Amino acid sequence: MNFDETTAAHLQELRRGTVVLACLVRLRTPDYGYALLESLNSLGILVDANTLYPLLRRLEKQGLLTSEWNTAEARPRKFYRTSPTGELLADALMTDWRRIDDALAGLTTGDE
Amino acid sequence: MTSLTDRYVWAAARTLPEAQRTEFGRELRERIGDATDALVETGSSPDEAERAALTELGDPAALAAQYTDRPLQLIGPKYYLTWLRLLKLLLVIVIPCAVLGVAIAQAVTGGSIADMFAGAIGLSISVGVHVAFWTTLVFAILERTPASAGPRGVDVAWSLDMLPAVPEPGKASRLADLIASVVFLAVFAVALVVQQFGVPWVSDLQGIPILSPELWSFWLPYFLVLIGIEILFAVAIFAWGWNWWLAGANLLLNIAFTVPALWLFLTGQLISPAALEAMKWPWGAAGPVIVGIVVVVVVAATTWDVIDGAVKAYRAGRAASAARQRAAATSGATA
Repeated sequence: MNFDETTAAHLQELRRGTVVLACLVRLRTPDYGYALLESLNSLGILVDANTLYPLLRRLEKQGLLTSEWNTAEARPRKFYRTSPTGELLADALMTDWRRIDDALAGLTTGDE
Repeated sequence: MTSLTDRYVWAAARTLPEAQRTEFGRELRERIGDATDALVETGSSPDEAERAALTELGDPAALAAQYTDRPLQLIGPKYYLTWLRLLKLLLVIVIPCAVLGVAIAQAVTGGSIADMFAGAIGLSISVGVHVAFWTTLVFAILERTPASAGPRGVDVAWSLDMLPAVPEPGKASRLADLIASVVFLAVFAVALVVQQFGVPWVSDLQGIPILSPELWSFWLPYFLVLIGIEILFAVAIFAWGWNWWLAGANLLLNIAFTVPALWLFLTGQLISPAALEAMKWPWGAAGPVIVGIVVVVVVAATTWDVIDGAVKAYRAGRAASAARQRAAATSGATA
């Protein structure tokens, strides 16, 4: 494994949990898979379709998202929305994220 | 006409449980449709875009497994260690039992040594494959069975009690001694039985018993029982290490073996007359010399074995008392 591969693997690991948090926050307004993918990537939260679609399914199964089929358009689309449980989880994750950020900041300044 | 999308959705959905298929199919169509539209917007033709979108999705079976969190490995990390431990344990127990069984069967039915080895090797391979296959199958099924709440019977929680003891120094070398002794004694016992049917690779001795068949009335069974006791003795040495009791037992066993064997040999009861005739015994003036050499070799081997046992018992006793002194010194220092 060369350096680039190692870096890519670690970056992926670091981002894994943040995608869940980003989905939970972003889906406070309901949206469907592809639109969510586009909006997250345009915001700089890089996520792959192969990760996002199965993730949405899993979060729904865990009761963190609710879904509804929208059949008004030519193509039926499944719209996801963050559930109350999802909101609670999003808050908890966000708090922890901020704590880690502060801790890392303290670590870096402590080094200097 | 069915489109590529229809075929893809069908291929992916067929691996799922019936109840999930409709919903999964709809979701997948949405994803494929949106991905295709995005490619069309960048200037591809609809057909090309569909092909590209489906190629991007990859193997439908892998995709379906990803959507439903199904395991894509035969045995996952949850059961791997249990599976490995059980498999090793079963192989170590079952294969030697099977080999011993086939060896005894071949010896009883008078098969040759070559038959015995071929049978034992063939049987070990087939028994090994069976044990590995069925164990793995059970664990693979377990891996795919939805877990109910709580631990299952096979989920053994690891505890400190399961730490292996650090091997006692000397125990590993005693294991090598044990294996060597048992193999030698087993071969010797088989040879005692098989000699009844002659030596197949010496043309003059084919079908001629080497030892007198009359010995079967008492002495050959006696030696076979003695070999059995020797095997138990080898196990005792492995379990406890040498001590003066075992050195004494070693002396008795050696006497019990060598004295009758030499007596039978010197009084001419040991070797069968037919074998002597086939070997054209006595070999002129060399006869008494050969007999003398045989006696000296046997007595020397027995004496050496007895002395070796005594030396090992002496060394073990010294090492044990040194360890006791060290332990006493340490506890004295801490007190």
